[in-house]
Amino acid sequence: MTAIAQYRPSREKRIKDTARQAILYVLACSLSVVLVFPLFWMVSTSLKTDKEANAPKPVWLPAQPQLDAYGELLSDPDWRTYIANSIFVAVLGVGGTLVSVTIVAFAFSRLDWPGRNLIFFMMLGTLMLPFQATLVPQYVLFNKLGWVDTFNPVTIPGYFAGGAAMVFLLRQFMLSIPRELDEAALVDGASYWQIFRHIVLPNTKPALATVGLFLFVGQWNALQLPLIYLQSRDMHTLPMAILNLFNPQQTQQPWTLIMATSLVAVVPLVVVFLAVQRHFVESIVLTGTKG
Amino acid sequence: MDVAQPLLEFLEKLFGPVNSLLDPLKSNRMAYTLAWSALTLAFMIVSGLCMAGLARLIARLRGKNRLYQYKTFTGYLFASPWITGFVIFVLGPTLLSLYWSFTNLRIGEPAELIGLKNYVDLFKDRNFITALFNSFYLTVIGVPLQMAAGLGMAMLLNQRIRARNVFRLVYYLPVLLATSTAVLFTWRLMLNANNGVINSILGALNKGPLHYLVGAFIFVTELTSAAFMALQTGNTKILEKIVAMGFPGPERLPLWLGADGLAFLWNKPSVVMILMWSAGAMMVIYLAALSGVPQTFYEAAKVDGANAWQRFRHITWPMIAPATFYNLIIGMIATLQIFEASVSLVRDGGQNQALYSVAYYLWRSTFRFNKVGYGAAMSWVLLAIIVILTVIQFRSQGKWVYYQGE
Repeated sequence: MTAIAQYRPSREKRIKDTARQAILYVLACSLSVVLVFPLFWMVSTSLKTDKEANAPKPVWLPAQPQLDAYGELLSDPDWRTYIANSIFVAVLGVGGTLVSVTIVAFAFSRLDWPGRNLIFFMMLGTLMLPFQATLVPQYVLFNKLGWVDTFNPVTIPGYFAGGAAMVFLLRQFMLSIPRELDEAALVDGASYWQIFRHIVLPNTKPALATVGLFLFVGQWNALQLPLIYLQSRDMHTLPMAILNLFNPQQTQQPWTLIMATSLVAVVPLVVVFLAVQRHFVESIVLTGTKG
Repeated sequence: MDVAQPLLEFLEKLFGPVNSLLDPLKSNRMAYTLAWSALTLAFMIVSGLCMAGLARLIARLRGKNRLYQYKTFTGYLFASPWITGFVIFVLGPTLLSLYWSFTNLRIGEPAELIGLKNYVDLFKDRNFITALFNSFYLTVIGVPLQMAAGLGMAMLLNQRIRARNVFRLVYYLPVLLATSTAVLFTWRLMLNANNGVINSILGALNKGPLHYLVGAFIFVTELTSAAFMALQTGNTKILEKIVAMGFPGPERLPLWLGADGLAFLWNKPSVVMILMWSAGAMMVIYLAALSGVPQTFYEAAKVDGANAWQRFRHITWPMIAPATFYNLIIGMIATLQIFEASVSLVRDGGQNQALYSVAYYLWRSTFRFNKVGYGAAMSWVLLAIIVILTVIQFRSQGKWVYYQGE
């Protein structure tokens, strides 16, 4: 290795290397521009006038940025309701699921109990089960319980460690924390709850952030379950409200308003992603699990 | 006679008192759900303690020592949320749906056993066959293109370039946005065939010397779509029409998400574009696989005079085969479950059902047309397909995929 390190490449090779770097860098940058373009178009359209948004030749940047769409959004109490509903469902659903998934992952990674492996394999089996498989019977059940048109069906099932993939990701991460820590704590008279609270939880932060991100994205973007269960208008979440803005009977759509609300729906996703990105990379590398 | 009926009536009776207690809260939806959440939590604690206590009792009866009993109790207590949820929300419903798939259940009507009729009907149902063919198209055309995009991004980021971590985040971001109704509507706006920004760019290209490129893209896309249609319907009329129209002139532009004319040939290619845009999840898998390829292999190949393509073909490609296979299966399963795109990008699943997926058609039959038994049968076919694909993935991994150290 030292021989390679001391070897100084020729001038020609260094120039070639720099050129290669520059080309790759330009390539990576242009790809980024392409991938972020929909977000740019969303922001730009939300600031246009309705005439510009529906112009026969697309207007790239509004001549004079308009905040009318945002004004309309903020002054309409309906939109406050939709945003509040989305936040309520996200906080309750993500919070409840995150807590229970963590507790269950602890049982599968750091506790020895009879039947653990069998139950763990059953859980892995449910990974194959598409969520549509239980969609129909769950609807019949929730209908009988009088839960249709309440927030219950989109939040409460999550409290029961919904999402085997999330349990699996957390378990893999928890397995990487040395077991000796638990044994030392047990010798010192700690209970399993204390081990969970003071050893495992603090060391699982990156994975918790990642699982939290996935759960949040799933819940925030959810469309299928809300379409089935949240029927009254005042129960709608943001994705449903955006869907309702679009009127297929008309040729002209309120695109500025649609894009303004879309931005409101997208900003939390980006913010949460940026907030957890450091942990996200770390836990993906450690567990080798994808999103 | 519906055997599930007594069970449902029992549940209704069981929940009757709780419902009448909480019903006054129903005017405030959030308070209602919070109250139910608190009740659920109490139920989970009680059921967890019961389950764990029972497990400890069994351990004691089997003459195990105190530590073993304690470990059993703790293990079941911590795992109880999942076990309870599995029984209530997975096992029970799955068995019920299996039973209902043999009935003609509709909400509000008594169910009748009709044997295998739902399953037989399903494979005669033109819409269901279309949904399967749509998945087939997306698996053959869309998923490989998505994997190519993911591999391209991963290979780019596997190089020593400045700000690699920033690029990684930017390339992954679309994955989080791809199921967002908001972003799908942005695509709908950008892909508008008449005044969308993408067609305006292509239109500008069409005026210059690059119009052959745009024309070739249109020609190839329409030909493949029409060929798949011919395969599905056994009718080659559309394919012949595309061939007869010949190479597209500079006035032709893609029809994307349109709803008339030949737009049904373009609805699925639009989804393929969005799949490629959100290839970041596949990129992550490929990045992990690429980092596992030893650098010494490349150095040895370079010494032997292998060029870049040969190094890719004979070192990288075989060594990342497990990742490719994994991405392929995951991508295939995803094409069966497309839902947001079928609802948000087009109206009612697209022109000529072009964007029907099994998941979308299941939702439509069950919740729009109240064919609950039929939907249940469809969910079992979906489950069977996914189980088969997953088993194939597990089994063949060892056979033709290279693993380091084996």
